[in-house]
Amino acid sequence: MSTSSTSTNETPSTAVVGHDDLYRQPKLLMSVIKSDTFRLFLALVALIAIFSVLRPAAFPTVYNSLNILSDAAILLVLAVGATFVIITAGIDLSVGGVLVFSGVVSAMVMAGIGDGTPLTLFIGLIVALLAGTAWGMLNGFLVAKARIPALIVTLATMGAALGTSLLITNGIDVRNVPFSLVETVGSGTWAGVPVLVWIAMTVAVIFGIVLSQTRFGRHTYAIGSNAEALRRTGVNTSAHLIKVYALAGMLAGLAGYLSTARFATTTMGGHSTDNLTTITAVVIGGASLFGGRGLMIGTVIGVFIPVVLQNGFVVLNISPYWQQIAVGAVLLGAVYLDQMRRRSRDR
Amino acid sequence: MNKAKRSAALLLAAAMATSLAGCGTTSAPAGSSDEGTSLTTADLAGMTIGFIPGVNDPFYVSMQCGIEAAADEYGMTVTTQIPQQFEAAVQNPLVNAMVATSPAALLIAPTDAQALAPALTKSVNAGVPVALVDTSLEDTSIAFTSIATDNAVGGGQAADALAGLIGEKGKVLVIAFKAGASTSDARQKGFEDQIATYPNITYLGAQINDNDPAKAAAIVSATLAANPDLAGIFATNLFAATGAATGLRNAGAEGTVKMVGFDAGAGQIEQLERGDVQALIAQKPGQIGQNAVEQAVAYLTGGTVTKSIGTDTVIITQDNLNDADIQDAIYKETC
Repeated sequence: MSTSSTSTNETPSTAVVGHDDLYRQPKLLMSVIKSDTFRLFLALVALIAIFSVLRPAAFPTVYNSLNILSDAAILLVLAVGATFVIITAGIDLSVGGVLVFSGVVSAMVMAGIGDGTPLTLFIGLIVALLAGTAWGMLNGFLVAKARIPALIVTLATMGAALGTSLLITNGIDVRNVPFSLVETVGSGTWAGVPVLVWIAMTVAVIFGIVLSQTRFGRHTYAIGSNAEALRRTGVNTSAHLIKVYALAGMLAGLAGYLSTARFATTTMGGHSTDNLTTITAVVIGGASLFGGRGLMIGTVIGVFIPVVLQNGFVVLNISPYWQQIAVGAVLLGAVYLDQMRRRSRDR
Repeated sequence: MNKAKRSAALLLAAAMATSLAGCGTTSAPAGSSDEGTSLTTADLAGMTIGFIPGVNDPFYVSMQCGIEAAADEYGMTVTTQIPQQFEAAVQNPLVNAMVATSPAALLIAPTDAQALAPALTKSVNAGVPVALVDTSLEDTSIAFTSIATDNAVGGGQAADALAGLIGEKGKVLVIAFKAGASTSDARQKGFEDQIATYPNITYLGAQINDNDPAKAAAIVSATLAANPDLAGIFATNLFAATGAATGLRNAGAEGTVKMVGFDAGAGQIEQLERGDVQALIAQKPGQIGQNAVEQAVAYLTGGTVTKSIGTDTVIITQDNLNDADIQDAIYKETC
């Protein structure tokens, strides 16, 4: 079908229609530079450049870069899960509530065991992941089998998860988290970079590979693009949807564990807008809310843009309220671009 | 091809700009005073003091006015970043980013006695000394000073005032604004300890409203429904008092159920004048801010630093509302 790009003077095969050039794959670098994700990356670099030029002593320092990475880490973990969900043309509003629930349950278990041994911390992690996965599976089941729209399902589970957390703690944050958790995971560093950042980056890389290279990832794109067609090829789309939402729930559970580690306490009141921040990050990163498109690297960049904006605004001593307006404008721009792309493709 | 060339050129330009700017420094911000050498008062001119309050409300605005006025005397500027919510997760990134700008000192009202400790320890390690204003940390050793109203005493005064208003008998409720914030806990405890000395008063317990006036109103409505003979309420801060007074007004119980509020914002003074609230325990946020700046100056110039300062409170009622010194105690909305 496609001829290999040869440099000899062979006559092209008559089985090929058209000129040789049509079938040449673009070089990787070219296709990267022409992609929309690259333009997004340029936008991020431009932002960093502007802030660096305006505050050269404060912004482009190792110290501040580590700040930005730490601030972005937990959001990145949430956004990785949300990427999968959004690519299936679904939405997950429950991430904040599941984060709080998993953090609370894991903190209570670790505080209950009492000692701060690595085994206790590991048990806490497993508890958090299981709690998150459970809520995720509930979401997936209701979306896939009961056929309730994802918006409604996850809105309901957000309230249910948060309410359950408040119920089991009586509204009071769990504060007796083992200090070893804060020292190692929350504030610890490895090779100079915070452990939180290593964990977030590892999650992004692993699930980025899953999304782009595995069958699981391909099916995710397919469901978002044309779920009915995928079902007719014999793939169990319901089961796949449940797995996708379960994955998002599991990562929200991990984020809850990391948040408890970072702040040495659960912060039940502080996650009410996490869901919207996560969706904003994923959409800025190029994923379409209508499903079928999105790249993990785009999500990573989409997470950094609001975080860099907030950090830069504080360093410049601009009111952080401007940051919200700026992020809103960027989000509008990103969705508009996506709409343009869709329209030009449908033509 | 052109698009690619253009993109590559843009990237190159951006990278050059970043590297030029990055030539500045690659290390953590240097502190403004090394160990052993301290500054003179004249050196302070032009330096910056960072201020991060808990949330946007007249109490902290009054404190900001006090800080700015005091800093002005030394020629220092004040940069303020206000968290949108009284939440550790919201305040934390502000702390980190402000420390990156290397102010001479950081004055902060931590929104959680535990959660802010790692970020503030990082601040001190990066060379920016920390002063705690209003709220405090569980471990105050990382700050060079801690200045607040003596909240336990304030809570006790509120208990006495409320007991007096209800004839020393009946049911009372506390609305605590945030479990885990040192001020909320201290006021609640001060109140509870003092109210226990009144044998005929039944203490219904404390409900937490998470600094949300709407929740405070809901708590009051619910408590009135369960206890129609509720006699008195102590609201531990501005948002709690505003919400609780609204709740009483909605239930038609204003005036019948006596209320003592903490803090004296313009809204609360209105409620006092209308009779929804009978007494307000006013703090002195301007003085807290002023003391904080003076302690920071003392620390930076190598003078003696007082590790802990407790400012006092003023009780405002309809009777003394028009006295001149009481008018001074009312919080400002702008400087």
